[in-house]
Amino acid sequence: MKKLILYIAVLNLCFTSCKKIIEVDTNNAAAQIVIEGNITDQLIDQQIVISKTVGYDEKGIYPKVSGATVIVTDDKGSRYTFMEKTPGVYVQAMRGISGNTYSLNVSVEGKTYTASSKMPNRVKLDSIGVVSNSFFSNERKTAAAYLVDPENETNFYHFNLYVNNLFSRRIYVNNDRLTNGNKLRIQLFYESDDDDNDGLKSGDKISVEAESIDSNIFDYWYTLSQQSGRGPNQGTTPANPPSNISNNALGYFSAHTYQKLSTEVK
Amino acid sequence: MPLKPYLLIFFLSFFSLTLFAQNKFTLSGTIRDASSGETLIGATIKITGATPAGTLTNNYGYFALTQPEGTYTVTISYTGFASVIKTINLNKDTKLNEELNDANDLAEVTVSANNRKNENVKSAQMGLERIDMKSLNSIPVLLGEKDVLKTIQLLPGVKSGGEGNTGFYVRGGAADQNLIILDEAVVYNSSHLLGFFSTFNADAIKDVSLYKGGMPAQYGGRLSSVLDVKMDDGNNKEFKFQGGIGLIASRLKAEGPIVKDKGSFMVSFRRTYIDLFLRASPDSSINGSTLNFYDINAKANYKINDKNTIYISGYFGKDNIGVKDLFENNWGNVTTTIRLNHIFNDRLFSNTSLIYNNYNYTVRLLNDVTNFKATSLVRDFNFKEDFQYFSNKHTLRFGLNATHHRISPIDITTSQESQVNPLTQEKRYGLESAVYVSDEWAVTEKLNLLYGLRLAAFSLLGPGNFGSYDADGNILSSDKVESGKFYKNYLNLEPRFSLSYLFNEENSVKASYNRNTQNIHILTNATSSSPTDQYVLSSNNIKPEIADQVAVGYFRNFAENNYEFSGEVYYKWMQNQIDYRDAAELLGNSNVESELLYGTGRAYGLELFFKKKFGKLNGWVGYTLSRTERKFAGLNNGNYFPSRQDRTHDVSFVGIYNLNKRWTFSSSLIYSTGNAVTYPAGKYVVGGQTVYYYTQRNAGRMPYTMRLDLSATLEGRNKGRFQSSWNFGVYNALGRKNPYSVEFINDPTDASKTVAEQTSLFGIIPSVTWNFKF
Repeated sequence: MKKLILYIAVLNLCFTSCKKIIEVDTNNAAAQIVIEGNITDQLIDQQIVISKTVGYDEKGIYPKVSGATVIVTDDKGSRYTFMEKTPGVYVQAMRGISGNTYSLNVSVEGKTYTASSKMPNRVKLDSIGVVSNSFFSNERKTAAAYLVDPENETNFYHFNLYVNNLFSRRIYVNNDRLTNGNKLRIQLFYESDDDDNDGLKSGDKISVEAESIDSNIFDYWYTLSQQSGRGPNQGTTPANPPSNISNNALGYFSAHTYQKLSTEVK
Repeated sequence: MPLKPYLLIFFLSFFSLTLFAQNKFTLSGTIRDASSGETLIGATIKITGATPAGTLTNNYGYFALTQPEGTYTVTISYTGFASVIKTINLNKDTKLNEELNDANDLAEVTVSANNRKNENVKSAQMGLERIDMKSLNSIPVLLGEKDVLKTIQLLPGVKSGGEGNTGFYVRGGAADQNLIILDEAVVYNSSHLLGFFSTFNADAIKDVSLYKGGMPAQYGGRLSSVLDVKMDDGNNKEFKFQGGIGLIASRLKAEGPIVKDKGSFMVSFRRTYIDLFLRASPDSSINGSTLNFYDINAKANYKINDKNTIYISGYFGKDNIGVKDLFENNWGNVTTTIRLNHIFNDRLFSNTSLIYNNYNYTVRLLNDVTNFKATSLVRDFNFKEDFQYFSNKHTLRFGLNATHHRISPIDITTSQESQVNPLTQEKRYGLESAVYVSDEWAVTEKLNLLYGLRLAAFSLLGPGNFGSYDADGNILSSDKVESGKFYKNYLNLEPRFSLSYLFNEENSVKASYNRNTQNIHILTNATSSSPTDQYVLSSNNIKPEIADQVAVGYFRNFAENNYEFSGEVYYKWMQNQIDYRDAAELLGNSNVESELLYGTGRAYGLELFFKKKFGKLNGWVGYTLSRTERKFAGLNNGNYFPSRQDRTHDVSFVGIYNLNKRWTFSSSLIYSTGNAVTYPAGKYVVGGQTVYYYTQRNAGRMPYTMRLDLSATLEGRNKGRFQSSWNFGVYNALGRKNPYSVEFINDPTDASKTVAEQTSLFGIIPSVTWNFKF
């Protein structure tokens, strides 16, 4: 909302071309451990990926971390040992169950990292579709996810959008604080790698992944979403999102439900 | 400050008040502008004779001086006006109501340096800046829309909220720590159009004073500054009209007598017309969009008799932004002030004020499924009683103040089809009250004291459900409180103390200490003010913010008062500062206090100011060297980090050149260190996104800002009573791309790499304004 107002103000006041690449004075920090762990309610190879940060101005080739001991347990007494399939990628075939709390234990390079996440109940993704909005008389088509938010619980959602199998670089995260118990249409604005943001075109294939996530993971994605697309000096002061992993590791460990629907734009 | 010596000073001074000799008489009166009848605030009354003395007129143009019987020469002066010199035989209490003539109207009088001679050196007041409304008109500003808030940003110790922005920071304080009052009513949001313009229409403003430190005890409620703005009273001699047409807005003001020499009125109106251009667009969604603001200032006063004058003033302003079928957003302030000046006797002056003010906003989303209307309101009722007692060595001020706050954080209404639920967040009620006393005491010819105490009380009132939270924001308990019950009370004693010591007429040192507290806070960590800023009161979780400031300064005037120099250093400690957690959701959150973090702040700096007051070429140079830091347990590993507006160096240069009767040229040049911002120290990938890794908060720097603005004013040839002028301006004449934000993006030439991209707002922006008066 605020962002939209700002856009309009900038549209009206920015008479000249106003962007340029600058040099900034900042130091690159030593490489940090990054753990991205997902446990879903699908019977698949669940993945824990361990990597390291690189300097912000370096090439985006992230060192994989091999040789870790990766164990996931749940509060029902099950224990899963993850095996390194490819460098830095640890897998184990299993299915997560809603209501169970999963704990991660990673030992690597002499340090132990732990995290836990409770898999929420699955909220059914009823359908996905395409919505037309007019923005300054440009018709713009966007993807939308339809679902009915359960009234008796607090729900958190995370979505991934793919257009023609290309991943949309935007974080879609919602909670039901202001919409509890309602039929929801959640619009997912596509953001591609190039600057071509005209929205969806007829014939585009879209897929939406819907995840019911726990509140810590919501905080993680929400903090990131508040920072993305805005630089320093605007909006919120950027900071590392609150990770649920101990020992200052970056990343997250999320037990969530998973659904995927696909359609074609008419 | 320990209390005991403080009380001792009080008793001593009261004691000295009782020592009046029998044959002393009081000279008192009101000083006005001869052409309009406007009272003159801060005019100097200087008497020479057996016992020389001097004083200034108060906010209502009133002064009183008590002296032993004798013959005196009285000189009354005010910047830009010809002085009046009178000989008075003071053998009884005497009234001296004088009207001064504008110096420009009198060919034989040049505006000399003798007006208000060395006032800045002598007065014990520190950290006070008064804006000369005449020079304001010639200082260049964005799009030619003259603006007091942009002009004060050119003074040392005051930092701009951003490019073209009217938000400001004073001596390391936050934007919500400025007390901005218009005819004594608090203006919560002083900006239009997202901060590019202020709510103060310069046509309707008579006087602007900014206290950066050494706040007198009659002001309270905010930590870092007081911006006291007073509206014009209106001409009580004849009807006058003035106005202007600019690129952004046009203005019209009417004023005149209600009863000649007894009462007058003033009405001023300003409106933008960008949306008229939008309406001309053939595009239906553009011509259905709105983008405008307007202001109405109105004031009337009536002198009931020699002892009583009543004033009624009001401000009403609104911004409207909307895109057809998408959203509407409007916000604005309303203030109303009713005041009664009463003169009990020649020495005791009182002012009683009843004040109403509110700030409100509405956001409507018009989307088919997420449609809703959200409204929010902050509303105050304020009663103030202020007394001023004048004796020969003392000016005593005392009074009381009670403000009732009501905050409706948000009220969401929705249509049947909307997927958003209706929500009414609990209202919050608070009572803020204060009593104060202060004394300005000319101890000797060389030593002046200004000292006082303010006792500030705050009560959070029911009804409501008040949660208590632990350090992690988890709710511990909740109290249900009935209507009218006092739930939480705070009492703060605020000592205020300044002194000046004169080495000679042109040299002085000053020192001050003051404590300020604040009980209404904005939850924001954005740079610029937003219309949807959320206000909260002190509570069981939020402690009153406290600031202690010490300042020391050297003041020097040169060359018969033609040049003024001052240097001040200050140090400020701030307690109970507020920030919020990274994942905080503030809007419509009834547990919003669970999202808050509390910390401390410190700010220190050096301010140098050199001003040439008179002559064909005048202007000033200001320099600030400063540091502003904050510390919160949950941020930056609990270490101090620079505030965003921590700009190490800040330089401003303002030059005004009066070529001849018709042409005036002016320029301003500013330089400032870039804002303190958080730059990434690394990057990684999660969820398919490039995410930046941050180490130290606000350890990076934006590029510096430098901007030259120019303006030229051409006075038309006067035809009878009709006067007109043209103002031409160029904003950012060097066309420098100053940083507005810096964003990290994929390198356009190598997408695997990251580069910093700077966005600037304004290139070279010319403007033209036509002003008229008749």
